[in-house]
Amino acid sequence: MTVAPQERTQWLARWILPHEGELRTWLLRRPLVGLDVDDVVQESYAILAGLGCVSHIRNPRTYLFEVAKSVVLMALRRSQIVSFSTLTDVESLEVPCDAPGPEAVAAGRQELERIATFIATLPPKCREVFVLRKVHELSQREVAHNMGISESTVEKHMGKALRLLANAIAYGGNSPIAASKACEDECARMERSGIRL
Amino acid sequence: MKTNAPEWKDRESASEIESAAASWAARVDRGILSSDERAALEKWLGSDTRRAGAYARALAVNAHFDRAAALGPGFSPEVFEEAREPPPLFSRRRLIATGGAVAAASIAAAVGFGTFFARTAVVTAKGDTRRIALAEGSAVTLNTDSRIEPHIQERLRQVDLVRGEALFDVSRDRNRPFVVNAGDVRVRVLGTSFSVRRFNDGSVEVAVLDGRVEVGAESTLHPHRLRRGQRVRVSPRGDFQMERVSHAALERSVGWRRGIIDLHGMTLAQAAAEYARYSDRRIVIADPAIGAMKVTGIYSTSDPLGFARAAALSLDIQATPTAEGMRLDHR
Repeated sequence: MTVAPQERTQWLARWILPHEGELRTWLLRRPLVGLDVDDVVQESYAILAGLGCVSHIRNPRTYLFEVAKSVVLMALRRSQIVSFSTLTDVESLEVPCDAPGPEAVAAGRQELERIATFIATLPPKCREVFVLRKVHELSQREVAHNMGISESTVEKHMGKALRLLANAIAYGGNSPIAASKACEDECARMERSGIRL
Repeated sequence: MKTNAPEWKDRESASEIESAAASWAARVDRGILSSDERAALEKWLGSDTRRAGAYARALAVNAHFDRAAALGPGFSPEVFEEAREPPPLFSRRRLIATGGAVAAASIAAAVGFGTFFARTAVVTAKGDTRRIALAEGSAVTLNTDSRIEPHIQERLRQVDLVRGEALFDVSRDRNRPFVVNAGDVRVRVLGTSFSVRRFNDGSVEVAVLDGRVEVGAESTLHPHRLRRGQRVRVSPRGDFQMERVSHAALERSVGWRRGIIDLHGMTLAQAAAEYARYSDRRIVIADPAIGAMKVTGIYSTSDPLGFARAAALSLDIQATPTAEGMRLDHR
């Protein structure tokens, strides 16, 4: 299994992660036969991490949605479920319009505030570790020394923080509620108008 | 139509994978891996694409927060804590006052992720589903028009199901029982995955997908133990009706968490009632004879009218759009 190189991690962090919330909302309304949204997201990251090159990708958001769509379709074919409506729904697996709506990545200062808000929700010890590591840019060893705890405890807190923050990005607040609601409505409209019998 | 029950039982859950991936990302964040650790990571990744994806994602989350350095050494997270408090009102005024995206994002954090800490309620609107991760490792998925109030404490994890239906994936913790209160009915969790639904008539249904739970009501002395594959319906009077359900049927019954609804074996009238849970667009059935017709298939919970059209086509009846939704009648 390929491990994403450093630049790929940066690319995912910069261009993919900010759209994950929107992708999940979109996936919730799709016919994911035999799959959870989490599965589709994990498989999509695996594909993106395994790409030979990403410099040709002009629009990472659309690319992410297309990758997720291919994961859904593959699972659907594997499951052999043949149902009238499922097929209709698959046709509605169109990637939502690419208007840079309010759900687009918040820029600069706003994004920084969002990051701060996420960090604020961490449990106290976890948060202390994470702030020293990320805001003060200490190494894990220095954080351990600073707090008078073992390095392995610092590592555990970091692991917990990453888990919680990943969840925050997935389910919490990457795309503002109002905006994702608007997106859902848009999707529903597309579905209705796209129904073919 | 052919249905294959997906093989869920032996599958590693996405949340287990995510936890392991986060631990590996934290290890990598600590410093260069030893060759033994390198080998252990490669072994864990194996040829599992979901693990590889979760690992790439965990690394990306870590990198995403690198820009927190720009907050500067004077950063004090306490200042941002007020975002955890439940917002008094989701008012337009507040949105404008504090700048759209940030205010909405912090409200989103308060409603979603922050809920566990703030112990506020989590609510879904009609037609929505929502998955909430509780920080202690459990997850709750809310179905349409539902409300839960989590109270996670040191010694006891309690969640009140105030309205609707929820699916609970509970992390094992022997020292901290997990209890769901649905009105007078208490479900005590001994194992892992189960759903609880409150009906409008006051009865409560509990279905166990995995592990074991104990269900008790105010009126009963001894709680009933349910195992995987069992379902119980508790009437408002406290009568227990127990039944065995196939795993495939149970998985079908929680299809809503993936946005699908399985109408296998239902009558058209039952399907219309089921859709009424998810949408205000009504499917009106003109004649009881039509209502008694059998339907089948997997449909999207968000598309009642598409379902009504498909049903009309396959049952050779007439579907007419109305102001409220769709009317089904003889040709």
